[in-house]
Amino acid sequence: MDQAYQTQGTSQVQPKNWLVESILVTIFCCLPFGIAGIVFATQVNSKFTAGDYAGALKASQDAGRWTKIGFWIGILWVALCIIFVFFMGGLALLGVGLANEYNP
Amino acid sequence: MKRLIIISTAVLAIVLLYFFIDARAGDFFPHCPFHTLTGLYCPGCGSQRALSSLLHADFLQAFRFNILLVLSLPLLLFSAVAAFAGAYKKQPVKQKIFYSPLFVKSVLFTVILFWILRNIPAYPFSLLAPHSV
Repeated sequence: MDQAYQTQGTSQVQPKNWLVESILVTIFCCLPFGIAGIVFATQVNSKFTAGDYAGALKASQDAGRWTKIGFWIGILWVALCIIFVFFMGGLALLGVGLANEYNP
Repeated sequence: MKRLIIISTAVLAIVLLYFFIDARAGDFFPHCPFHTLTGLYCPGCGSQRALSSLLHADFLQAFRFNILLVLSLPLLLFSAVAAFAGAYKKQPVKQKIFYSPLFVKSVLFTVILFWILRNIPAYPFSLLAPHSV
């Protein structure tokens, strides 16, 4: 690692690889997007080590994009589930109300 | 720093939620979209129940729901500690292990292997599928 930094020079910092974020999305958002994030995370590191700085930067952006897509779809899914629960709960209450009205 | 406070507050809220509302008990929490659509387990299936199990110190049960979650917690904790140390020192702490090509590749390999194995409905592999002990 240190050797890689020396040969790269000090001006180029390794781009963020989004590994931790994509692991979190994989475990908690239950979608293949987190795994796509991990795939690009491997590319960030291997391309940077190979001296392909532009490629590493591109892989970093792709990793970030897939991680964020997975995260927001996960949030959207949770939101839909909450709405669904409240909707069904509302219907159930309404149903109980109607049932009481017709069968006192 | 502001970002760190927001994230910590969210994590604390999630921990309290999964402690007081036990995900093992029933249908309160959202189900996995991948499992709902395909009937197969994804690498994250069982993680909510595993989290509730961990928070109630039921470690064996946590392993049986999602071993990947339990195994990745030390890494996530390490990352969190490094982030706090960086904020304290006002200079980012380099989390070297996450930038080692070998480590990242083994994470990818582990996740995909886990995904395949936990869907094999035969004895040693079925231990990886989320089940109550």
